[in-house]
Amino acid sequence: MDDEIRNGRIGQAIERAARFLPSQGPIDIFVAQNILQGFEDEPFEAAVVHAAQVYGTQPFLAEARYREEFARGRIRDADLEAVLAADLGPSAHEPLAGGRLSLQELLLALLRNPVEKEDDVTVRWTLSEADDENHLATTELWLACVEAVASARPAVLHRQPPVRIRDLLQAISPALDTDEHTNPLLIRVCSSYLDQGVATWPMPGREKGLLGAVISLYEAGFGPTEPWNVGLPAALAAARGRNPLSVIAQQIDLLGTPPGMEEELIERSLLSLRGWAGMVRHFEDRPDRVPVAAVPARLVDFLALRLIFDRVAAEWIAPKLGHGGELARLWTELRDRYPPRYGAGSVARAFMVCQVARLVGLSAADIRSLDENEMTRLERAIGGFDGITRRRLLHLAYERRHEIELLDGLAARASLVEPGLIPRSGVQAIFCIDERCESIRRHLEETDPACETFGTAGFFGVPMYFHGIDDWHSIPLCPIVVRPRHTVIEVPESNASMHQALRRSVRRHLGRLKGGLADGSRTLIRGGLLTAVFGAIAAVPLVARVAFPRLTSLLFHRADQFTKRRIRTRLELERTDDTPLPDGTLAGFDVSEMAAIVRTLLEDIGLEKGLARLVAVIGHGSTSLNNPHESAYDCGACGGGRGGPNAWAFATMANDPRVRSHLGRNGFSIPEETVFVAAMHDTCSDAFTFYDETAVPATHRQEYAAFQRSCREAGVADAKERCRRFDAVPLDVRPEQALRQVEARAADLAQVRPEYGHATNAVCIVGRRARTRGLFLDRRAFLVSYDPDADADAAILARILAAVGPVCSGINLAYMFSCIDPRGYGSGTKLPHNITGLIGVMDGHASDLRTGLPWQTVEIHEPVRLLFVIEASTARIEAALTRVPAVARLVANEWVRLAAWDPATDAIVVLGREGFRPHKPESWSLPVVDRSVDWFAGQRGNLRPALIRAAFDERRTG
Amino acid sequence: MIPLICSVNQTRGLPAGLTQDLVLMLVVAQLLAPAATLAAVGLPALFGFPLGERRTTWCVGAGFATGFAAGLATLVVLWFRNFVPEVVHLGTWFAVGHHAATIELVADGLSVPYVCFSSGLCAVVNAFAGKYLHREPGFTRFFVLLAVFGTGMNLMVLAGSIDVLFAGWEFLGISSALLIGFFHERQNAVKAALRAFTTYRICDVGLLAAGVIVHQAVGSGDFERLFSGTWPHAQCLVPPTTATLVSLLLVFAAMGKSGQVPFSGWLPRAMEGPTPSSAIFYGALSIHAGAYVLLRCEPLLDAAPLARLLLVMIGVGTAIHAVLVGSVQSDLKAMLAYASMTQAGLIFAEIGLGLRTLALIHIVSHAILRSLQILRSPSALHDRHELEAALGGHPGSGGWSFKDMLPEKFQRLLYRVALERGFEEMAVMRGVVDPVWRGLERLDAAERSWVEWLGKSWSWRHRRGGP
Repeated sequence: MDDEIRNGRIGQAIERAARFLPSQGPIDIFVAQNILQGFEDEPFEAAVVHAAQVYGTQPFLAEARYREEFARGRIRDADLEAVLAADLGPSAHEPLAGGRLSLQELLLALLRNPVEKEDDVTVRWTLSEADDENHLATTELWLACVEAVASARPAVLHRQPPVRIRDLLQAISPALDTDEHTNPLLIRVCSSYLDQGVATWPMPGREKGLLGAVISLYEAGFGPTEPWNVGLPAALAAARGRNPLSVIAQQIDLLGTPPGMEEELIERSLLSLRGWAGMVRHFEDRPDRVPVAAVPARLVDFLALRLIFDRVAAEWIAPKLGHGGELARLWTELRDRYPPRYGAGSVARAFMVCQVARLVGLSAADIRSLDENEMTRLERAIGGFDGITRRRLLHLAYERRHEIELLDGLAARASLVEPGLIPRSGVQAIFCIDERCESIRRHLEETDPACETFGTAGFFGVPMYFHGIDDWHSIPLCPIVVRPRHTVIEVPESNASMHQALRRSVRRHLGRLKGGLADGSRTLIRGGLLTAVFGAIAAVPLVARVAFPRLTSLLFHRADQFTKRRIRTRLELERTDDTPLPDGTLAGFDVSEMAAIVRTLLEDIGLEKGLARLVAVIGHGSTSLNNPHESAYDCGACGGGRGGPNAWAFATMANDPRVRSHLGRNGFSIPEETVFVAAMHDTCSDAFTFYDETAVPATHRQEYAAFQRSCREAGVADAKERCRRFDAVPLDVRPEQALRQVEARAADLAQVRPEYGHATNAVCIVGRRARTRGLFLDRRAFLVSYDPDADADAAILARILAAVGPVCSGINLAYMFSCIDPRGYGSGTKLPHNITGLIGVMDGHASDLRTGLPWQTVEIHEPVRLLFVIEASTARIEAALTRVPAVARLVANEWVRLAAWDPATDAIVVLGREGFRPHKPESWSLPVVDRSVDWFAGQRGNLRPALIRAAFDERRTG
Repeated sequence: MIPLICSVNQTRGLPAGLTQDLVLMLVVAQLLAPAATLAAVGLPALFGFPLGERRTTWCVGAGFATGFAAGLATLVVLWFRNFVPEVVHLGTWFAVGHHAATIELVADGLSVPYVCFSSGLCAVVNAFAGKYLHREPGFTRFFVLLAVFGTGMNLMVLAGSIDVLFAGWEFLGISSALLIGFFHERQNAVKAALRAFTTYRICDVGLLAAGVIVHQAVGSGDFERLFSGTWPHAQCLVPPTTATLVSLLLVFAAMGKSGQVPFSGWLPRAMEGPTPSSAIFYGALSIHAGAYVLLRCEPLLDAAPLARLLLVMIGVGTAIHAVLVGSVQSDLKAMLAYASMTQAGLIFAEIGLGLRTLALIHIVSHAILRSLQILRSPSALHDRHELEAALGGHPGSGGWSFKDMLPEKFQRLLYRVALERGFEEMAVMRGVVDPVWRGLERLDAAERSWVEWLGKSWSWRHRRGGP
């Protein structure tokens, strides 16, 4: 009975610790999520510091980075003053040093200027060796500081010893690292267990669970094993057939962990290989998202293995420390030897005070005049303003400047452009909210000023499992939080099915051949023959791919077209049979469901009325080669899939006369002359693919062709804008060359930066496009269309926030943390990445699974929290937030920033800790240029907003 | 006597003097081109003014391309003279009586095609790496090491004496180790580099000892004193005992660089560096360096059936080991490392069986195929999805294999053997490294106590005699 209670306690501890594990699933569906999801219950500023302690990562950028930004004017003095004043509150004017300066003055000086914190030894060395002209050791000030410090009370710090025996060992003698021995084996068995098809020989007994499989492999000890795991077979045999929780309890006892530290031990043990532990957890939680073999992985099994390995290794290493007894005694002994950390020594303290005194202009006499208490207070104030605090404030200042620049831009635009400039004559194009669509929309509007664009979550309200004609299984296309209930299949048009059968069989044979060659090259006899006889042929693709990536890919693409597509296909969208499919979903939608989807989306974006003759629905995706993180560049609103099929499904639904008449009966009319068309934009190659073009009636052909031309033209301009970010592309690249450049990037094996994905994202504007149209937002803004006039009860706003809030903030925080600590939160540089088990990447041959985004994706990112600007009154925003607790929590805990933009008055208010406060623009000036290219030409870095004249019809520009 | 291997009547209409001069110039060009780029890229970086990325790539690439072109031209000239070897004497390091250490290169039907192949491959990988390493802090370092590698490779391939061969061989070793440890901020990478380097050094003893024996036997390190004739039909000129001894030592040397059992443990770990260096080293050139040396000294092997037998055994053993272990590897690069090892084993066996031309073709073919596979390895997911789409389902696990015949219990056992990489490393550790280590520790302890004793007696005397 006791055992059961204890097991229950351990189980709960595991659940609690599991929230710290990375939530990233198998890498073929990469969904950008908040890397610190487990900390969302805490306020942002505290959470990042907490997380940094838990993971051993960085909470903010390095101080030097912020100082660089300060030096180049990205952070200004005013920002430092403002954030410091807000942070200190009333204590800002607290007098220090006998009233010679205020706390705020002191801290501001420390924020502006780097002050070196050195230890005693370094300071002594500096004093004796450095021979600058006004030698510090001889100055009056230095002597005064030494005396003053001697009189003040020192601050002493104590550090808790770690709980894991390995961490304790490492702290005492860094050469003894049991993880160095245990991790390779643990990584190997986890990787083999979770493997989705790299190994031709899968691990036997995987159905028994991770622990069971490893026991059955290793319980019989034989062969010359590594020295540390001599005791492993016996330890594993003892765990055979037992409840993993009891195994864990037993290991905890054997490890000698003191009671009460159980929970911490579990947490530290799980986090020691957090990538693998997280993946095991993901297999347990979401077997539906596992690509091939959803093996019964469980976190308890992983923890049991981890602890068994740790225990066996610790028992092996104990004698080396001259310790023969049980581990509990070893633990106590080690803890007693654990070095407590004291505060800085007196020389170091004097050095610090001396530096500060020079900085704020305190003279030797001033210092001498301070009594013990005054001196202690001064020292505490300096010491309390530690690196983390400084970095936090610098970060806030960094965000503040971004906020001011953006909001000033919005306010200035509102003052420059008279309202009511919405064109109603041309094509209406609905894009994804993605910040990469900002530029393509802007260029489309510049190319065709009559065109009106909208933004909505890129699954276009159609959550579905989609089975494409070239796919072998269906994939979910909707935000990750949604589980679709419908499956849609792409089928050949009836007259093309013969053709399709032929193509499919050719394709299958080619595939079999290709797969056979790849597999065969790894085998003995087949491989020997294959490589010896045909290997040299590989020279052709090798040279071609490296030397002429774009041409080669075009060639391969052409060849592919023989076996893929080309035939006409359609979506099997309508449900004819209500019996669910084997996976529990329904085959397609019925008319009322389709009508609801169409209506919801058009209401969301404010298009209940005034539909144009041609409405284009444009999803997006990204194609790149040699890129394990390819899926990270796809549509976030489609859960790391491509939004094209959703756009197509939506257009097909909206064109269906039965859907229209169903809508008409419910008082929502779509004009008969309105035709919906669908397309997909490749954000990597800037190419547009149009779906089902034969569905466009002859009456609309001309407009359709013109729109396609505009899209291609906008694609070229977009390519040019994107190229400014690529260091390897000259800034004066011609637009057509730019297009070729991005096409080549999409097809180049050697290219680790096919595109920059969501990097630089910073803003999410929810409101009418009419208020941002013509504003250069530098591909940094998610743009969500929302019409405040038609949403009196905030229902639509709540719906929108529920969909885009988690998606946009997830993307933003994934990029933010991957950028702040590229090695701790991100996956580091791509160059040594090694795909393992088809589920993730390791660094080199045996490392933890690397989660997060690679450095090459985030290198140009500017880590600021997403700033939501919502075009609605504060009351309505608050009303909407109460209906979406998940987003309200993000707002309340400051994981996103929020500003309300009044629809009537143009006034902007920003949410702070004390509620909304008005934003007073620093400057009303907004650069005005003819076209986007005039603004970004010759620039690599982030750009301020500007007004683009070409986006407006000349006659109506104010 | 040095046999005269080049005469006028063997050429196809070109005067011998002209071809000799041509070959001399071309061979020197093959060697100097990568060496010059090494200087051009390395020296400015040494003084703190690295060339830009574009220039670096271009410069190193031009070196390889020149080597490739010079190689092709040499090939044409050689064709005109029926591939009769041309020995290029660059100088004498030292000479004592009958003994001389000369610096000689040889251009023949083996070395020149091999230079073309290796320079060409280096040029391709160079072009790839130029984009791949864009903005990497170690950009220049990578290309310097690539140039070191290219120079060493050409030196080793063109070597006409065992001394020159050894020099090239060492260039290879050091550049390989430094590239494995390219990301030196990661502990694993440095450890893997050290392991590879240690293995190399141990096996280098073989080459060094072979060199000493050759010098002892024929008074110089020149290959032309060891064997004569046109590759692959040269004749051995030394007695079988010498040939056997040298062959065995060469086989030992080759085993390390080519990752043969029991020295293969470093190979899967070597995948810590950037992908392009993994491709060129462990997919293509470095892994075959051992095989090349054996091909070079094939006439000696001809006279040494014992070494050949050993070679076949090692090769086949390695191939079987690598296939078994490779089949359970669940990460792409280890899987490819074992696939490379399998083929390298087969190539060793082919050389042992005397199938020289086949072995050469096998080397070239395998190197090209494998480097493409490694360069493409980050595409595995993409390729997999394509394949699944084409097949309309998962590709099966490769059909029938030998293990299916075993009862389940033995399968589990065998799987574990494979997962533990055949216990190879531990066997070596326990059988060789640990005893040697313990011996060294004992020696160390003995020396310490001796020194201590000396110190004591000295200080005792000192104190007595002191003030």
